[in-house]
Amino acid sequence: MIMRAGQNQPAAAREEQQKSEIPFNFTSQIVHLHKDHSLFEVGDVNRHLYLQDLYVCETDAPNPAVSVSQFACHISGCSAVFIALEEYEHHYNSLHRHVCCSCRRSLPSARLLDIHIQEWHDSLFTILAQRQDMYQCLVEGCGEKFRTSQHRKDHLVKIHKYPPDFRFDKPKKDKRAKETTRLQQKDTEMEVTEEVCDSEGVCEVLCDVLCHHPESGESMEMHVSEKEANGMTNHASGTEQSSEPPRPEYFNRVPRTVCFGHGSVRGFRGRRGRRK
Amino acid sequence: MWRLTRLRHKNGKQIASCSEEMRVKRRENEKGLFILHTLFRDMLLLHKLQHSGPERETHLKALSKALRDSSAQLTFVKYASENSMHLLVSFLTGSNTQCRLHAIRCLHELSHSPHPSVAPTCLPATSYLLTYLSGQSTKFTELCLYTLGNLIPDSDVVKEKLLAQGIIPALASCIENQRHHLAVVEAASFTLSQLLQAKDAAETIMSKVLVSTLPSQLLSVLTPDPQFGLAPAIECAWCLHYMACSQNGKELLACGALSKCSSLLWSLGCAVREGNQDEGLELLVCPLLRCVGNLLSFCPANSLTDQVGDVKLVVALSAFVQAYIHSRPALARESAWVLNNLTAHSTDFCSALLTHNLVPALIQSLAFSEGINTMILRVLANIANKKKEFCVELVQQGLLSSLCATLKMADAEMVTLSLEVLFMLVSSSPQVTEEFVRLNGVSLLEAIQYNSEGEMRRRAAYLLEHHLLFSELQQIEIVSMC
Repeated sequence: MIMRAGQNQPAAAREEQQKSEIPFNFTSQIVHLHKDHSLFEVGDVNRHLYLQDLYVCETDAPNPAVSVSQFACHISGCSAVFIALEEYEHHYNSLHRHVCCSCRRSLPSARLLDIHIQEWHDSLFTILAQRQDMYQCLVEGCGEKFRTSQHRKDHLVKIHKYPPDFRFDKPKKDKRAKETTRLQQKDTEMEVTEEVCDSEGVCEVLCDVLCHHPESGESMEMHVSEKEANGMTNHASGTEQSSEPPRPEYFNRVPRTVCFGHGSVRGFRGRRGRRK
Repeated sequence: MWRLTRLRHKNGKQIASCSEEMRVKRRENEKGLFILHTLFRDMLLLHKLQHSGPERETHLKALSKALRDSSAQLTFVKYASENSMHLLVSFLTGSNTQCRLHAIRCLHELSHSPHPSVAPTCLPATSYLLTYLSGQSTKFTELCLYTLGNLIPDSDVVKEKLLAQGIIPALASCIENQRHHLAVVEAASFTLSQLLQAKDAAETIMSKVLVSTLPSQLLSVLTPDPQFGLAPAIECAWCLHYMACSQNGKELLACGALSKCSSLLWSLGCAVREGNQDEGLELLVCPLLRCVGNLLSFCPANSLTDQVGDVKLVVALSAFVQAYIHSRPALARESAWVLNNLTAHSTDFCSALLTHNLVPALIQSLAFSEGINTMILRVLANIANKKKEFCVELVQQGLLSSLCATLKMADAEMVTLSLEVLFMLVSSSPQVTEEFVRLNGVSLLEAIQYNSEGEMRRRAAYLLEHHLLFSELQQIEIVSMC
């Protein structure tokens, strides 16, 4: 759209600059193939068989020769591959949707993500929480707020009959304690920000699953839930367990200015430069 | 490359199914071998063969059968040296025509040998074989042709000698004189194809063939005869394919090759579309597709429609894609390649795909791998690249939601190409952009920004920054105005 609009503008220089920045370069091309090109290989084999009187015309045999293109999760480091689109979408929607930009945790819903960001990464929240009840109940519609996360947890368990080890309600740990444990762990190239929390939990679980790329989407799910269960159980008990999964090998630096999941990931959108 | 050493005759040897037949064959073979051994052991017998009268025919016939066995072939060559070949040649050129026939059969069997030492021993016979190509005995000519055709790939020495002895003009006049004898035409075209597909079929051979009358001869017999069948057309088509692969292939345009091949493809496409179950149609479709595909690269864009004829050729090509996508995916891919070449620089052919409602089926083919989907996507990209109006039509026929699937594929080329197509589509109209947003396309692109491929990331980022955010802004402005 901007391209087309640009053509009407008098600033040719600006248009030129725009054109040079455009990464698209498709051009229609006629392709001439040499007789030994690989595209001709199968046909040549059939020709050979025909000349050897060995060619078989299989008109009716259902031949599953052609395979369906696979789908792959795009998230760098996630090597999951799927045959069916539904599998891929299920994987993506389950693991890569509401993800926190800052600490890469995957939350199951936009609301929980919002709460997470607020409670974990918003310094204003931390300040306000010292003076007033800021921890909101996770149950939508309840509206109750609490002074500490522990209070909230008690409320969730008592009133809303939540399990005490509910995996999406982890208190944020003290950063200083984190750093010592972090140093003990094997270093990786994972891109982390200052605000990341390195406790056992969804973050490490997620990354761990990503880099161990199981064969199918389903086993990946199970893996996540098993790991999550371990992680959450450890965490709920409030201790730092040493059953660390191996550190992930997140080899790509994800730009800070980019968060994925339009409308689903919160993470200081102001950094993207969008005017509000 | 393949060693094409053998070609059966139409009435060729059947596989012996009953044991009695096998026993007879075995006896005959043994007799032949015995004769061979006696021949080579005792030169006197050789002399006897030369002068023995009516028994010669029997002996020769037995010899020709014996020579079906590859070890017998080797024996003939190794131990007999020049004498046996000269003996054969003398029978080949003698006054006894039955002996001639048996002798050529012997040579034909020898030409099947997988041993590289055999072909050069047949050199003394080649000038005669070429001479006989302009003879009138069609059965004999056929055998000569197949013998020559089988010998060509086996030895460069043989090939060079044949070229020097004038095989190209000999083949040209043979096809011309015998064009009503389709069996001979088939054999001659086969021999020519062997010459053309040889590994070092350098441009010298190619240019000699292209300036001869052979291309127009081949084109004149390209249409299959309903009685005789596809075989001669198949051989002609392969010859034309090898010529079109050459850089000098554009010479073929002058004799109307593109037009002839396209119209034949069109007929075959109609047959396939109607569910024609004739065996072996694909054997003719394959070389024709390759001809047309490569000839298109020589054809100037402005004379495309003249050369090809009807834009409806796209209908035939789409029919091939659909018909072969499961049974012969490589052939479906070649069909898509031709579609690409046809649509690359022609608005008319792109338009034809739309007006004949072929796009939805093509879009469905995007699910398949083995290179089919990337080629089909190129075709769709060619269409989108021509006009904004085409983009809108493509979207109406469902391309956008397909792209939402192809953007998730494992094949990096497929994803990058999808982004290119997406760029063209969203650049065409704001409605397309909004539709893409409605299909949750934004989250797709945001996911791509986490991909390890820089090419993908850059394209996805550009689309988000310049097109999709813009659309959002529009929406925000609209909302704020209310």
